[in-house]
Amino acid sequence: MNLSVKHTIVLCIVFAGLGSSAEPTGPVMQLFPSTVIEDIRETGKVAEDMENSIQDVISRLDLQQQLYTESMCAGVDQDPGCERIAKQLGATYLELLNIMSDKLPEMERAVTNTRSSLEQRLREELGQKSTPSGLQDTLLGRVSKSDNSYQASALRGRSGIRLSNRFKQYYDLVATRRGGSSQSMAVIASDIYLDMDEASHLIAATQQEISRAALMEQLNQSFGMITPEMSAVVSGVKSILFGESQLDTQIASLPPSKDEQAFVSPLEM
Amino acid sequence: MNTSKFLGSLAAIMSLLVLAACESKPVVGFCSVTLKPGLASAIRLAEDKLGNGCEYSFDNYYTQLLNIATENPDPANKQLFSQFLVGVSERGIISKRQAKNTYNRYFNVKFVSLMGDYNTCSQTCPVRGKVMSDMQQELRDKEQGLMRASEDSASYHRADHLFKETQLVLEATCRACEAGGS
Repeated sequence: MNLSVKHTIVLCIVFAGLGSSAEPTGPVMQLFPSTVIEDIRETGKVAEDMENSIQDVISRLDLQQQLYTESMCAGVDQDPGCERIAKQLGATYLELLNIMSDKLPEMERAVTNTRSSLEQRLREELGQKSTPSGLQDTLLGRVSKSDNSYQASALRGRSGIRLSNRFKQYYDLVATRRGGSSQSMAVIASDIYLDMDEASHLIAATQQEISRAALMEQLNQSFGMITPEMSAVVSGVKSILFGESQLDTQIASLPPSKDEQAFVSPLEM
Repeated sequence: MNTSKFLGSLAAIMSLLVLAACESKPVVGFCSVTLKPGLASAIRLAEDKLGNGCEYSFDNYYTQLLNIATENPDPANKQLFSQFLVGVSERGIISKRQAKNTYNRYFNVKFVSLMGDYNTCSQTCPVRGKVMSDMQQELRDKEQGLMRASEDSASYHRADHLFKETQLVLEATCRACEAGGS
């Protein structure tokens, strides 16, 4: 039996176990059936492939850009050395665009699959099978009032990490979760779905730009120019794939809970 | 002539009757009281007034009681408010639903603003902005009831966390509902 099949079986057992031991405070939800988990894993793998294939080109671009800057080439005309560096830089830039052009459709397909499957689960489980009151029960039900292990979740806006790592974290969250004490599946599903939705738009916009940028650069190759657009595109790619800054949106953490029995009003919902 | 005299007398008698009826109701001064600490005695006074014709002052008394509790925070305050609200609803001064909503708005983690018996796609998503705005306001009331009046900061932080999670989950769920045309 290969490893991925074993993994899937283990996941099925884990999720079956979660279903049977869930607290009776909220509806049992199937937000992460094995198909969705597999979509997330697949998206992470595609992202990793794309990073690996682009890493080398990005490093070369960085070195060439550094050489260009250190040689004081910016704004210098008619210098054969600078023209050569600029042409090399432009060629590497074209190479980057070509790789992205090759890889993005696969990435787009993987992201779209994950987004669509999560979209359907969210619509059915939280949108159609749940009431607003039920939604609150779902979000609160997993934490008992004296649970000290409750952890605030702050998933959104996690730029600053590699795209593949982000998917790995998502995968770990949904695949290795043990009953009830960590983050809500509803929150995780929402977070991943919104992320996928943004990624879909970003990929579509990038694909539109790539053909135009490639054409422009082919023209520039004739003149050996370094355009600000090149730097912007490279920075953008690095930011999306490899992360740039760590943004942590912390939610207020839970203060130590009291030991005494909390009062429960007969009026309580 | 006799008829006009009779009508004049009748009007005078009616006026006296109306005045007499008004006198049987508490005058404004009777209901207009400033409740003083502690909370238990203030609640007793408010209950007394509410049971003697000052029902319309319920909101005023409740606000005053909350202010007294905020100035004198104690975990037991939550229970005193519960007993007060159960009592006045049993005496018919406010409805049971009003008592429940009032208590939960200030002293429970869950949000009264996010309730309903229909599915989330159809009930909440079309008015998501208003629901979130109402929840934001309710969170401020929970801050007063839970954290400042009852020293229950743990429950307040759970409410704060629930608010943030709801914001995220509703954004995603409503987007998914919209994409599916529901």
